[in-house]
Amino acid sequence: MARAWFEKRERGSGWGIRIARTLALALGRRTGRALLWPITAYFFCFLPEGRAGLRRYYEALDGRRPSRRTVFAHYLTFARTILDRAYLLARHRDAPPYEIRGFEAVIPCLERGRGAVLLGAHLGSFEAARAAASLRPQLKVQVIMNVGVSRKLNEALAALDPAAQDSILSLGGAASLLRVKEILAEGGLVGLMGDRPLGGEPTYEARFLGRTARFPLGPLRLAATLQVPVFFFTALYRGAASGACRYELVFEPLCDPAPEAALRGEWMRRLGERYVETLQAYCRVAPDNWFNFYDFWQVQDGGPPRGSAPGDGGDDRVGGRAPMERSDASQDVGARGER
Amino acid sequence: MKSEQTDFEREIAQLLVSSLNLALDPVSIDPEAPLFREGLGLDSIDMLEIALAISQHYGIQMRSDDPENATIFASLRALAAAIKARRA
Repeated sequence: MARAWFEKRERGSGWGIRIARTLALALGRRTGRALLWPITAYFFCFLPEGRAGLRRYYEALDGRRPSRRTVFAHYLTFARTILDRAYLLARHRDAPPYEIRGFEAVIPCLERGRGAVLLGAHLGSFEAARAAASLRPQLKVQVIMNVGVSRKLNEALAALDPAAQDSILSLGGAASLLRVKEILAEGGLVGLMGDRPLGGEPTYEARFLGRTARFPLGPLRLAATLQVPVFFFTALYRGAASGACRYELVFEPLCDPAPEAALRGEWMRRLGERYVETLQAYCRVAPDNWFNFYDFWQVQDGGPPRGSAPGDGGDDRVGGRAPMERSDASQDVGARGER
Repeated sequence: MKSEQTDFEREIAQLLVSSLNLALDPVSIDPEAPLFREGLGLDSIDMLEIALAISQHYGIQMRSDDPENATIFASLRALAAAIKARRA
């Protein structure tokens, strides 16, 4: 069985990343991009699991085994989006341009007392969105993520723009979720990732690119509890070999605010369905933006048991749920994935 | 040994059960037992749900920067006491 992504050690050392960041900003994007070739070649050669994961993805997407060239180009796209994070966060003159689509529908949510949830995925560059959001002074965007896995990278990038770091909330206990509610009340946007389940977390099953995959239930539950409109969100990297690339920030409505607790099961089922459908559609638009470098269809429940992390003083996983009786239909959404 | 719920604790227990839609008799909640993890098994999303229900019913805003957050939700008893104190 493929190891779960969160158990993987982040590749690259802290100082290496800092040097890379300094070099990237000093040398400019053109040179930075040229340097990505040998770096990508290194990771391509020494991360066979990533290659295998992508092969599975392309097989599901196209029905045939991808060429090495396709997989290498995929690695390169990932490297380019990371490089661009440095320019975007530093507001460097080389920061790539971006277009925004579908934001009109989000605008009514930006008033006080409203807010919206952006349900994203490891598709494209959520970071590009964060950086773009910081260019709009009025817009408050808070991204909730499991920062543990790419901590070193996040720290190095955070040094570029401390304000951006403030806008990442690590997956956390009670207080951070109250903070989420406060941000929404101020008319802010809250970003959640809906594609990668953490170990042991309740999941739901959905057909994704023709095969059954598991998606985390936690983000759907959180969106239900927050009772605000939910949008699919992605920032796609649309590149050209010439380096003339841009980012496409896409907002697409998924669901109106959730109803009262007793009726949420059906709402969450619908949200999950639409989310996965939309995710699939954008994978087809920009296949090389899929940044889950593991066998996405192989992840099983059964990571570390609940409460096994010592001394964390609270329930720190969004969506973690101990088995217990629930009377509502929401259990269906979860139960499908757990049996 | 399970301790008895007070009237106000029962009221809060009912609010928990209805807002979380639990298949559980409110009276059966041990007021001293932890609400999260090994106790009732609630998680941080449930806690948010409870916080929202409490603010709706009692007009008490729970803030993210409240240093007492960790203890307020320790048990039904602690929660009831905190609500009472803040309403006063």
